[in-house]
Amino acid sequence: MGSNEVFETVVKILTPYVKNQGALDQVASGTHILDDLKVNSARLVDVVLEFEDAFDIEIADEDVDSVETVGDAVKLIQSKTG
Amino acid sequence: MTGPSLSELDGRARRFLTVQREISRVFSPLSFACSWIVLRLVLGYRIENLAAARIAYRDAWLRTESPLLVCANHLTMIDSFLITWSLGSPSWFMRHFAAVPWNVPERANFAVTFWQRSLIYILKCIPVQRGGRRSEVAGVLARITDLLLRGETALIFPEAGRSRTGRVEMESAATGVGRVIRSVPDCRVLCVYLRGRRQRGFSRIPARNDRFDVAVAEIEPKTDHTGLRASRDLARQVTSKLADMEREVLGDRE
Repeated sequence: MGSNEVFETVVKILTPYVKNQGALDQVASGTHILDDLKVNSARLVDVVLEFEDAFDIEIADEDVDSVETVGDAVKLIQSKTG
Repeated sequence: MTGPSLSELDGRARRFLTVQREISRVFSPLSFACSWIVLRLVLGYRIENLAAARIAYRDAWLRTESPLLVCANHLTMIDSFLITWSLGSPSWFMRHFAAVPWNVPERANFAVTFWQRSLIYILKCIPVQRGGRRSEVAGVLARITDLLLRGETALIFPEAGRSRTGRVEMESAATGVGRVIRSVPDCRVLCVYLRGRRQRGFSRIPARNDRFDVAVAEIEPKTDHTGLRASRDLARQVTSKLADMEREVLGDRE
């Protein structure tokens, strides 16, 4: 799966959790999930579990620690999908 | 169940915690006395079933050497003081200092000034920014895990903040407590539900002269899930138990 396709799927999964719709309109790889999109940190777990289902991968707790931006999420997913 | 989800602490961080523990122990007669004076005499609080809660905690603490994590509901900013008071007398805690729970207070509330940071340092606290970056929260959870493995105990609020509805919020269950449980073999969880009789929603501190009910129950959460799902499942088991205890406490009042 190409990075653009992964990026689009990640944004689609994030969308219902985003509180700052303005930032979502200009979303890019460097967009911070908590600070810019204002996703609730407790809900980040639900987001990541949706990544697992969508891409058929398993993500460890410690992997999530390094996810700060949309680009980080894309990189993590690509590393798991090979 | 999958293995540890938190990295091991380096030697420097472990020594730092050891020094903090010993300084806390030195100050403990003063901190216990001050806490009791403020809670009991200044604020006029009283815990109704204090003896039963202390016996339950003492039994859980002394029965085996398996690590014991205390998880509680969260309604006010001084819950950790009230819970510690409800779990043991000052004299018992001084003889069993490892049983005094480490706390993880919100940095923005308790660790802004030098004096606040000094005070919480001697009260066995590790400040955390709730809802902050996961890497930072993971560092705090790794410290808690290390302390549990060394025979200390810790108090965590699984809802990761004061309940905005005044009731245990299952939806707020953070995975942090699940990560700690996964990382500590044979970890037991002592669920503590504490609530003032005049407490309606959440607040900074309980009403003066309030009387508190406290309930204590031990569980050993298990899961067949792996990864993040395992942490979430374990956290939900703990929060679910607290919600059950809440129904019992509130049911008894009606």
